[in-house]
Amino acid sequence: MMSIYLFWRQPSQMVDKKRMKTSDFRWLLSKFVLLYLMVQVTGALRDLKCTTNNLKVWDCSWKAGFESVIDEVCIEDRSYSCHQVEKTNIKIPALPPGDHVMTVKSSHSPANSLSKFILNEKNVSFIPDTPEILSFSADFPTSTLSLEWNDKGSAFPYHVNVTWEIKILRTERRELIKLETYNTNLNGKDRVHQWSWASDLPLECATHYVSIRCYIDYLHFSGHKEWSDWSQMKKIPWSPNSQTKVFPQDKVVLVGSDIIFCCISQSKVLVAQIGSTLCPLIHLDEKNVAIKIRNISVSENSGTNVIFTTDDNVYGTVIFAGYPPDIPQKLNCETHDLKEIVCTWNPGRPTGLVGPRNTNYTLFESFSRKYVTFKRAETFINESYQLFFQILPDQEIYNFTLHAQNPLGKSESAQLVNIMERVSPHTPTSLKVKDINSTAVILSWHLPGNFAQINLLCQIEINKANSKQELQNATIKGAKNADYLIDVNKLNPYTKYTFRIRCSAETFWKWSKWSNAKQHLTKEAIPSKGPDIWREWSSDGRNLVIYWKPLSINDANGKILSYNVSCSSHEETQFLSEVLDPQHKAELPLSKRDCIISVVAKNSAGSSPPSKIPTIEIPNDDLKVEEVVGIGKKILLSWHHNPNMTCDYVIKWCNSSRSEHCLMDWKKVSSNSTETIIESDQFRSGIRYHFFLYGCRNQGYQLLRSIIGYIEELAPIVAPNFTVEDTSSDSILVKWEDIPVEELRGFLRGYLFYFQKGEKDTSKMRGLEPVGRSDIKIKNITDISQKTLRIADLQGKTSYRLVLQAYTDGGVGPKKSMFVVTKENSVGLIIAILIPVAVAVIVGVVTSILCYRKREWIKETFYPDIPNPENCKALQFQKSVCEGSNALKTLEMNPCTPNNVEVLETRAAPKIEDTEIISPVAERPEEGSNTEPENHVVVSYCPPIIEEEIPNPVVDEAGGTSQVIYIDVQSMYQPQAKPEEEQDIDPVVGPGYKPQMRLPINSTLEETAAEDDIDKTAGYRPQANVNTWNLVSPDSPRSTDSNSEVVSFGSPCSINSRQFLIPPKDEDSPKSNGAGWSFTNFFQNKPND
Amino acid sequence: MDLRAGDSWGMLACLCTVLWHVPAVPALNRTGDPGPGPSIQKTYDLTRYLEHQLRSLAGTYLNYLGPPFNEPDFNPPRLGAETLPRATVNLEVWRSLNDKLRLTQNYEAYSHLLCYLRGLNRQAATAELRRSLAHFCTSLQGLLGSIAGVMAALGYPLPQPLPGTEPTWAPGPAHSDFLQKMDDFWLLKELQTWLWRSAKDFNRLKKKIQPPAAAVTLHLEAHGF
Repeated sequence: MMSIYLFWRQPSQMVDKKRMKTSDFRWLLSKFVLLYLMVQVTGALRDLKCTTNNLKVWDCSWKAGFESVIDEVCIEDRSYSCHQVEKTNIKIPALPPGDHVMTVKSSHSPANSLSKFILNEKNVSFIPDTPEILSFSADFPTSTLSLEWNDKGSAFPYHVNVTWEIKILRTERRELIKLETYNTNLNGKDRVHQWSWASDLPLECATHYVSIRCYIDYLHFSGHKEWSDWSQMKKIPWSPNSQTKVFPQDKVVLVGSDIIFCCISQSKVLVAQIGSTLCPLIHLDEKNVAIKIRNISVSENSGTNVIFTTDDNVYGTVIFAGYPPDIPQKLNCETHDLKEIVCTWNPGRPTGLVGPRNTNYTLFESFSRKYVTFKRAETFINESYQLFFQILPDQEIYNFTLHAQNPLGKSESAQLVNIMERVSPHTPTSLKVKDINSTAVILSWHLPGNFAQINLLCQIEINKANSKQELQNATIKGAKNADYLIDVNKLNPYTKYTFRIRCSAETFWKWSKWSNAKQHLTKEAIPSKGPDIWREWSSDGRNLVIYWKPLSINDANGKILSYNVSCSSHEETQFLSEVLDPQHKAELPLSKRDCIISVVAKNSAGSSPPSKIPTIEIPNDDLKVEEVVGIGKKILLSWHHNPNMTCDYVIKWCNSSRSEHCLMDWKKVSSNSTETIIESDQFRSGIRYHFFLYGCRNQGYQLLRSIIGYIEELAPIVAPNFTVEDTSSDSILVKWEDIPVEELRGFLRGYLFYFQKGEKDTSKMRGLEPVGRSDIKIKNITDISQKTLRIADLQGKTSYRLVLQAYTDGGVGPKKSMFVVTKENSVGLIIAILIPVAVAVIVGVVTSILCYRKREWIKETFYPDIPNPENCKALQFQKSVCEGSNALKTLEMNPCTPNNVEVLETRAAPKIEDTEIISPVAERPEEGSNTEPENHVVVSYCPPIIEEEIPNPVVDEAGGTSQVIYIDVQSMYQPQAKPEEEQDIDPVVGPGYKPQMRLPINSTLEETAAEDDIDKTAGYRPQANVNTWNLVSPDSPRSTDSNSEVVSFGSPCSINSRQFLIPPKDEDSPKSNGAGWSFTNFFQNKPND
Repeated sequence: MDLRAGDSWGMLACLCTVLWHVPAVPALNRTGDPGPGPSIQKTYDLTRYLEHQLRSLAGTYLNYLGPPFNEPDFNPPRLGAETLPRATVNLEVWRSLNDKLRLTQNYEAYSHLLCYLRGLNRQAATAELRRSLAHFCTSLQGLLGSIAGVMAALGYPLPQPLPGTEPTWAPGPAHSDFLQKMDDFWLLKELQTWLWRSAKDFNRLKKKIQPPAAAVTLHLEAHGF
């Protein structure tokens, strides 16, 4: 029995492979061997397996080893029950927990065997029935699959947890695309469950299959719980008969999501693209294809196009990628007129969806449960959205909720308002101004709205030209669509005002916008005071000229039409004249010199108080002219307090260059003042003004001070005219004139006088500057009354330059200069001649005497007796020869071989050879010249040779001979007129023979030739300065003509041809541009001189 | 007018008076009628102007439709736009058409196209596009009026729209956005072809009508003007 038990137990344990763990393989092997033996013994009944699908009935089955018929199966339970069976399975009611013996009798078996099994719930497998799908449907627009099945819960009268596993397969290839687990429980009743799933691939694109199984987790069952079998597959076919299409159509998706498009096509799809971007194809059933778009971006207004191109057609769809509506921002509900509430908001982030997919807004008021909706096909950027909600009677508190909705989602924003505190009135209109008087007006305006329940706070802006704007607030009782009035006081007469108004509720929320501005000119009032007046007697003393200043705008209070001038004395008041406005003076013949002039200004409102001034002028003998200079465009005048002056002080001023009775302006100062500052826009720097200070006493004005002054002193603009009155050999008398006041431009402080030796047109004088030159003498003449100056200690017959300048505190004026030559000092000249003559005579006499006394000694010393050769007979012949004929031959001279020849220049290389004899002699150029020291080439002397055969100059030139033959150059050139500048130009008057150097200037060649022996310094320089030849500029027109005589200066010449032996130009010579003194420069400058 | 009896000026004045009243005589009035020539010319000019205007509008609208509609090489098959009047016609057939038939076809085509264009205008999502479309519609309406004028001048009756064939703009679920865009694309393309064809038609008509002025007069009278 034990062996059978083990046999039965063991396979049952192997059913659940997951739970069984065999640790010992050898143990398993031994069991297997044992099992085989037992079957052979017991009649070959094996593989007893019991399952249940409802926990009520167990279905046990086994396998027979060979053909055996089982007659009876008996189970030992509480009662022993036997069942007649003819198959290899038996259904028995579920047994209670614990071991039960099942006996299987097999009557027809050869052994007539009896098999016994131990049955236990733990060995029973619980496999639920395969679920049955009630329906499997598809919602194509949303690509959603819906599955319905019955859980058959009535089979389990107790609470059981069930896990359902649903798998979705796609395409004919049955690709698993979704495996979903779904948990429910059973409660004893049949229930229909639903499960839906949204496919990423549109359902039209491929066949979708579904299958389901379940797993019932009944805790009280101790056996093995297993998954049910998969249900039969149900499918949603893609409609192959439908027209070729692309799916999904016109779908709205969230930006950033992934989406699959498919194309159902009868022909092969070649290309798929979204917008202009190509996409890889995913092949589905038959020729259907799909593309997957990841992270889709926001669409344009008309949507994003997805196109599939086949051989013969184009198919497409439009996708709208956008955002759900943002939370409405800045929701603000207020009223302008207490009739309707306007709620405005900002939609926030654009949704990217327009037209029928645009966001719908609904404003819902929760107390009244009323709502208004907002629909707009088009969205504008930064547009403010608004909705109007009619104000309800007897409702002040409103709870608004703004719902925003589009195909992708919804959002909302709320606001609770007391509308009485959210009044922002409309802009006031029809602003009008009416006069009350010259200082008060009434403003009226219209304000639409039902404000009967509230008070309005209005603000009036009052603007006046050149004045700070003024704001006035006023509270007014509100009314319904009413005109409102308010009066504005304290205005100035005859002034242009600009009024604007804005209003709010008294419980302030917001101001309305400003109304349009309204300009208004207030009415005129009488002038507040009389004009400021002054009077002057005319030059002949007969007429009195009365001046007055126009009244300021503030004082005039209107447009001044005229001025009335009258004269009042003790006896009477005489009306003199009426002067119309633009004129501000009146010249009147006055019969009485003693009266009080009064002037009143009149405008349309009336006359001003009179301004009065006495006509009498009290003389003042003690008067002197003072000077004053302004500080910073102002003139400060001060005076001592004078108790006699009872009325006031008047300072009048005028341009001093004008006539005596000029009047620029005046200023009145109170009688207790002792100083005043005068400033005027008319003041100019450098102009002399005359100020008169008048004091008023006993009804008459007395001139107290007369002052001339400048606002700012400037330097004179002209120099004083001066002349030389007298000259002597050592002094000059200079006389000058005054500078006119207009040109002086300041108070004259003195003159500066310079003098210096110098002649007109010399460079020294042109460069004369008084500062820093020791040879310039300066005299500062500070006595401005001095008009002459004698300059002494001058040299006779010398040219002097005289310069005179005037100066003020504003600066020194321009210079005026003059050249004067002092007279010759004849006495000194005579003395200068006589003294040397006298000395020479005395020396001569003394020498003669001494020579005479010592004549013998001298003779012996210097001239001893010499024998006369004529007495020598040996020389008789020669003597006769000398005396006999003049045609005798001269001493014959052999041609001299030059001991040294300098080749100055060859055509190939115009350079000087044999430089060993070059002796640099610095020749100082004229002062101011920049010529560099020149190298003089000294060639050893070769006596002049007269060649019998004159060499061909062409040959000389062509052959480039190195031998240069010189003749006596003195004979070549005739002396020319000596230029005046020669002495200055060449201060080195060397006696040496310099034939070529001297050529252009033609010095006295005869003299220099005679003094050849004396020349120790330069010797003979046949080609003179080689550098100067090159100084003939290639640019010079002369340089092009090599045959010209003019050009030949400075160049070595062949004697016969007088051709240049040296090329006339050397463009590469660095000296060609040499400045300063040179042959060329000199020569070229000569015509100018 | 200075009229004195017995004066030689009198005769001249009389002649002037007669001439003055000549325009009022109906029988003679026709001679001053310029005929259909100028109106054909104007229609031709308007067609060319519309061609120019359409180029600008099509650029804007195709950009609005988005790629690939605005790509120059996009040439889809004519799908779902069968109701649009086709401008393309066989050359032989076109040559065989007489003036009346040509004008009638033009008139009918533009009537249909205008109706579609107005529908397009209602669908456009942006205000700028709507303005452009409205402007073009107005111009096209003008062209239609001009063609009607030319037809009237030549004595051809205007085609009567058959009841029930009036094209209607009915966007609905059956008409997807993509097909709608294809229709729009084809509408613009057909418009372009029609304008091109009309320009040719009117140019041909202009040349045909213009040369002999007398013939025009006779032609007009023959049609009962």
